[in-house]
Amino acid sequence: IPDSGHKYYLQFTTEDYKSGENAGSCLATVLYPNTKSPPVVNIKCMHTKDQKQIQEDDNRLYQKIRHQTKPIIGNNIPDSYGNIEPALEPVWALAVAGSSYIMWEKSTENLGYFMAQVKSVKQWIRKDDFIEFDYTVLLHEIPTQEILSCHMRLTWLPGHPLKVKYFCASENQGLEDGSGMESGSAAGILHEKGANF
Amino acid sequence: MKILLVFAALVAAACGEQLFVGDQVLRITASNEEQIALLRVLGEQVELQLDFWRHPTSPGHPTDLRVPFPSLQAVKIFLESNSISYSIMIEDVQELLDEEKKSMMTSRRIERSTSMFDFASYHTIDEIYDWMDMLVDDHPSLVSKIQIGQSYENRPLYVLKFSTGGSNRPAIWLDTGIHSREWITQAIGIWTTNKIAKEYGRDPSVTAILDSMDIFFEIVTNPDGYAFTHSSNRMWRKTRSINAGSHCIGVDPNRNWDAGFGGYGSSSNPCSETYRGPYAHSEREVKAIVDFIRGHGNVKSVISIHSYSQMLLFPYGYKTAPAPNHQELNELAKKAVSDLAAVYGTKYTYGSTIDTIYMADGTTIDWAYDNGVKYSFTFELRDTGHYGFLLPSSQIIPTATETWPALLDIMVHVLEHPY
Repeated sequence: IPDSGHKYYLQFTTEDYKSGENAGSCLATVLYPNTKSPPVVNIKCMHTKDQKQIQEDDNRLYQKIRHQTKPIIGNNIPDSYGNIEPALEPVWALAVAGSSYIMWEKSTENLGYFMAQVKSVKQWIRKDDFIEFDYTVLLHEIPTQEILSCHMRLTWLPGHPLKVKYFCASENQGLEDGSGMESGSAAGILHEKGANF
Repeated sequence: MKILLVFAALVAAACGEQLFVGDQVLRITASNEEQIALLRVLGEQVELQLDFWRHPTSPGHPTDLRVPFPSLQAVKIFLESNSISYSIMIEDVQELLDEEKKSMMTSRRIERSTSMFDFASYHTIDEIYDWMDMLVDDHPSLVSKIQIGQSYENRPLYVLKFSTGGSNRPAIWLDTGIHSREWITQAIGIWTTNKIAKEYGRDPSVTAILDSMDIFFEIVTNPDGYAFTHSSNRMWRKTRSINAGSHCIGVDPNRNWDAGFGGYGSSSNPCSETYRGPYAHSEREVKAIVDFIRGHGNVKSVISIHSYSQMLLFPYGYKTAPAPNHQELNELAKKAVSDLAAVYGTKYTYGSTIDTIYMADGTTIDWAYDNGVKYSFTFELRDTGHYGFLLPSSQIIPTATETWPALLDIMVHVLEHPY
């Protein structure tokens, strides 16, 4: 759009991340202003699942995690061979959801992301009903092909939006051969993101 | 009984089920005939789903009983209220099975690498190189192994040559693993080379191709990178060459070719994953292929295999101008992708690199194309981001199986369109 930016019209279907089942379709417009400020998004989706079913599924996931007797910890999910321990699947699923918040903020007209791996996860037990996890997730950036390492703190209670705080650094900046994960500016700014879309 | 149980658990585990979580095995010692009778009656309660590993026989002899988790309380109350002594032999059957499964998988891997190769697993460089020798041994009149050079860290660069004779016949080149983290590709390389060897003399297309053409297949195109993904960093993409003046290692071997070298579709920063290198063909791994193809002089097709994205790409990546035979390449890609989808429904997109994925310069197929190789394609295999580079090994054979008809389509077209 001359003197304004680039506008994209999108029609797409969604699928359940776990089962691959059709989860609905969406219509969206995305306007990237020339000014490089964040895009303007309009989106409307039709879900195949009803609210009640979604609530039930959320509760099931929540209960699965709450019923663990010890704080959940894990590394390399999936592992090098693509395997995910069944017991850690819920934690991986939450990481996917949390990472999507990070990707939502970081994506631009020319940069996109996928979650490549959960490098580590540690559960923080809270006194209230919320579940809380500390993650290191690896994001694969396109087209640069970089792998970003993001520290993500995620809090959730069914019926509430996911709360995500994160800080990302490129795996490559000056680091070689597992010499630790400190990046130069260690006093990182934690971005906070609640769902307001 | 125990073997059956382990087998059943393995099958169930393979199907994603956990059958024995929380189950316990109790060792029960009946002290008199009355207690033996009671135990027998207990076993007859079908709803408890009890599983005797050692049946009650006579007093003093242990009875071993697997109790499913839901029945545990009932059984223990029964035993205690009848003063039948017992101890817990196995606290959690599932845990034990998981451990066994792990160790079985390890030993299976060791066995199979020498007698029966496990195509459904990811392998180390050594396992792949050993297997290549086995393939040559099994098909001595068809397959040979040649070395086209050495990697930066002096690993041999091996290529499998499929030939039924002739002298410098028109040839098809395929490579997998140029980006080391794309593990599905090396795995496909093994399966596909095995398939080619098996199908000569059986499949009419493979036979027709090999009766007039040669096939060259480099499975581990970036051995240093591949070794590094096993030992240190699963996400390593580039070569492992040292960059002068930088602490960052490696060059992107798919930006290092002399075709549009140095543009915006690659990086000048050694720390970048798309670093093009100090100059075109600076990487030994790339130079070896350049020298081989140039030296050969009769290569008619180059197929370079990557992951992930599910795409079939053809030149150009470094410029928007369509390739002179764009139409033909587009039609061929369309057919290949359709035949691929026919196997399991896997959807691929296709088109020129720059249109379909992004601008990329210094790529393998652009160089091949600009050097006279009319049929140059890049495959981006499964998936589309769900597992990405960490594609589960259970998908190796399905991916190989569906990609095969697409590869054949291209090779048959090359055969039928000599130039």
